[in-house]
Amino acid sequence: MSAVLELLLADARTPSGGHAHSGGLEAALAAGLALTDVPAFIRARLRTVGLVEAAFAALAARAGTVDELLALDLELAARTPADPLRRAARALGAGLLRTAGAWWPEAQPLAGYRALSELTPRPIALGAIARTAALSPLAAARLSLYDDAATVASAAVKLAALDAAVASGWLVALAADIDDAALKARETGPRSTCTPLLDRRALAHASAERRLFAS
Amino acid sequence: MPAEPPTRALRIGIGGPVGTGKSSLIATLCRELAGEVELGVVTNDIYTDEDARFLRAEGVLPAARIEAVQTGCCPHTAIRDDISANLLAVEELERSQGPLAAVFVESGGDNLTAAFSPALADTQVFVLDCAGGDDVPRKGGPGVARADLLVINKIDLAPYVGASVEVMLSDARAQRGPRPVLAISLRDGRSVEHLTGWVLGQLERWRAGTLRAVDPGPPAPHAHHHEHATP
Repeated sequence: MSAVLELLLADARTPSGGHAHSGGLEAALAAGLALTDVPAFIRARLRTVGLVEAAFAALAARAGTVDELLALDLELAARTPADPLRRAARALGAGLLRTAGAWWPEAQPLAGYRALSELTPRPIALGAIARTAALSPLAAARLSLYDDAATVASAAVKLAALDAAVASGWLVALAADIDDAALKARETGPRSTCTPLLDRRALAHASAERRLFAS
Repeated sequence: MPAEPPTRALRIGIGGPVGTGKSSLIATLCRELAGEVELGVVTNDIYTDEDARFLRAEGVLPAARIEAVQTGCCPHTAIRDDISANLLAVEELERSQGPLAAVFVESGGDNLTAAFSPALADTQVFVLDCAGGDDVPRKGGPGVARADLLVINKIDLAPYVGASVEVMLSDARAQRGPRPVLAISLRDGRSVEHLTGWVLGQLERWRAGTLRAVDPGPPAPHAHHHEHATP
């Protein structure tokens, strides 16, 4: 493996459509979340939806066949009750798969998964890509968690009066949390969480007339 | 070797600054062409789904043929640097509504440096208007200089805002060389015929497999086919 591929997958400049998503932050701020609570919001995501998705990214990084990946699609969809969140995850996964398809058009099971999956949730796509890049399940889980946290932090700069240096500092402060959650995600297997507030806000956001971010 | 006939819809990018009439231009094209050509539209709004709602309200296409994409404050990124969301929206329209002959992708109103990636738009229109100032064509930029078609819209307003269509056209031609420029008013039947004629011409070339996406390219360094005079 090359550590560079891990950097590439973490880099927001690698196209995936991620710039159009806020990780639920836009809806949370609209519902009254204070800017000072955004780091806590990110940490809460890391411990709930972030951990579930990272666990699935790690499982996908171990999956050697298209069928295994498609089964993980369904498992994760069953754990994502809000339709707008399934659609957002699908769009982000499809964006990642398109880019990785340009890197490795023939690699299996990635190419088969890209052709056959109708759900392409981001964590499964990311795990399948990590495997092709010869990255470990731990690396896949960490990428998934980092992406979740960085998505919220960078959206905060556009949604609130905030210096981007401060927002990236949140990630520095959360680095150990991300590492710990990645270790946990690697071990945990398929797991569930319950985040009714995130789900309800996602539903409201999807029908909001004024919004900058898709999710 | 004969050109391969295309298996997907022609993707026509419609770009240009805010308020120049991109949505109205698309509505007009849909109204004129929907009877003979299967069309879809993807809009990229910055704050709202206003453009998609406008087009649905115009009733020029079935509502399901019009898709809105959010761009997270980055209208330029969504058509150039990271086209994932737009490509996905086009593909979904084709899958759910297809087969479509052409899909218009309307960029969020942006500045003069915005241009579509050739991976997203097979051909692109850059829309300016008289009311935005008749010096804009002279300022140039990739869309003004190298979009497949430059539209100077709202020429009916020129006398009211002190704009010279002639100056705009001559500045545009100086920037563009032989590339086409249309000075139009969407309220005028002949203007609309010129516009639909251009679209049908692009579609014909697309179907024949002879349309090649031309990248308007980056804004800064300019390339001319002539030598600059040395002082």
